[in-house]
Amino acid sequence: MILIHINNVPQPLTEPTSLAAVILAQDIALDSVAIVLNAEVVPRNCWQSILCQHEDKLELFSAVAGG
Amino acid sequence: MSKNPLLAHAEVLCGHIHSDNEHCGHTLSDADFIRYSRQVLLPEVGEAGQLQLVDASVVIIGLGGLGQLAAQYLACAGIGRLTLIDMDKVEVSNLPRQLLFNDADIGLNKARVAKQKLNGIAPHCTVTAYETAFNAATSAYHLADILQIKQQGKRVLVLDCTDNFATRQAINRSCIEAALPLVSASIAAFSGQLFAVDQMQFPSGGCYHCIFPAQTRVSQSCSTQGVLGPSVGVMASMQSLVAMKLLLNMDRCDESKSALLGRFWRFDAKSLSWTAAILTRDPHCDVCGPKEVHSSSDKPSKL
Repeated sequence: MILIHINNVPQPLTEPTSLAAVILAQDIALDSVAIVLNAEVVPRNCWQSILCQHEDKLELFSAVAGG
Repeated sequence: MSKNPLLAHAEVLCGHIHSDNEHCGHTLSDADFIRYSRQVLLPEVGEAGQLQLVDASVVIIGLGGLGQLAAQYLACAGIGRLTLIDMDKVEVSNLPRQLLFNDADIGLNKARVAKQKLNGIAPHCTVTAYETAFNAATSAYHLADILQIKQQGKRVLVLDCTDNFATRQAINRSCIEAALPLVSASIAAFSGQLFAVDQMQFPSGGCYHCIFPAQTRVSQSCSTQGVLGPSVGVMASMQSLVAMKLLLNMDRCDESKSALLGRFWRFDAKSLSWTAAILTRDPHCDVCGPKEVHSSSDKPSKL
């Protein structure tokens, strides 16, 4: 089993899972967030092809546009 | 130089004996030396650094909570030239956090009012105000001066201080196309975001579109979510600090490392914590990715 952390919440994965699938499983729309994986922003075009690894730390956040 | 700050200060001032003429591009006037002494005292700034600021030009797009404070910091720090762009007028609901404005300014254009006030508090700063919206149609007009200044080899910078996603995308695209460095800050409710990108100095950092493509769904704005004034001030201060450090060349930047460029910071105003991440260029980015070059001979010929 793989254990990842999404916004500091532990999340077990039973099978190899892409970043995109992890987000969809959270019921979050892919076009509404950015992903930081282990302190690096991952461009949206790469989310399908990157599989989560054990102890990966994911941060999901939406765009803030105010000022 | 002495380690004692007071002695060091005296040494700096005593060591600076010039005619009191306006700065001629090589030395600071005595009056400017005293005015900017707390900056000049820093070894990272010095007289040479202060002259770099005097020689620099910054475009500030949006004169709301972020822009009005960044404009004050940069003008008062000795930046030589500011261009202010905003079509909005001062509203009463702006006043709790946009401290450059007051009740007498309500209904007046923000860029125009900011220019008038900056002329009073930073008379050495040359300020240009554009009272029109920044978008794809107006960007060439708004950025013409700064591009000319850049071609003269002077330091230039664009600050995105706007309040909506579409304008942020337009600014990012314009800066990429014109190869202008961009420092962008945003805030809504208790969440702030800040990043710096420069296609010339640090292309591997990508651009705003690599993080948030143009079709991203965005809901957060100050007008719909609310915000506390000091939260805006934190972001504007950090944005101004990044801007000054870039203009002072304080970013240690090589092919693989940069302390400022290609970084994305988030501020949580509830926990008072900052989180930094490294930006990664999207190789397929529509904005900063490699462009396919089409010549007329590439077009399919009609048979």
